[in-house]
Amino acid sequence: MKDSSLHEQDAEQPDSNAVKRALRSFKLNIWLAVTTAVYGATLFGVRLHPDWSPWLKITLALTPILPGLLYLRNGLQLLRGLDELQRRIQLEAWLFAALGTVVVGTIINVFNVHGLGGNRLAHGLEVGGTYLTMFMLWCVGVTIANCRYR
Amino acid sequence: MKNRLRELRAERQWSQGELAEKLGVSRQTINAIETEKYDPSLPLAFKIGLLFKQPIERIFAPEA
Repeated sequence: MKDSSLHEQDAEQPDSNAVKRALRSFKLNIWLAVTTAVYGATLFGVRLHPDWSPWLKITLALTPILPGLLYLRNGLQLLRGLDELQRRIQLEAWLFAALGTVVVGTIINVFNVHGLGGNRLAHGLEVGGTYLTMFMLWCVGVTIANCRYR
Repeated sequence: MKNRLRELRAERQWSQGELAEKLGVSRQTINAIETEKYDPSLPLAFKIGLLFKQPIERIFAPEA
């Protein structure tokens, strides 16, 4: 009787751990969403109130670092939980995206040096353009890698 | 790398999905190994050897 209850406990353990982990992850994601929303709102505040103290502005500017690190941690946990082929596909896609972004950025800079770049790309890719290019190249990379291992 | 995974799986009449579940990987991984598009990691190769009760070198062989 004692043994069977012990086995039942053992069988229940992984499930309850998985539920706890999922709950923790859910809470963290909610918190991240709230932080991101609050940060978005404060950006408008800074624009509307240029008289705010520089220290407050600096603190607000640095706020995204914390949720950014947590997003990174979440991403790494997700990568660790992947199956080994999926992990390889993701790493190949990220490498493709990173190198592709460097190449695109370099081409735009070369165009700008020779005066061939348009007004839109006068300052290179900038932050938004870099993320967008990286995301698009990541999508292409994942598609190519999935086709290769299909 | 050549392998006998498809043959061993067929002997036991397991689907790719069933084998994937037993090994704790995705069906895509099993398919990629069987079609020799992907070489498994050493821990996964050992898992496969243990599951089929055969040494790794009898399942996987280098290309001639």
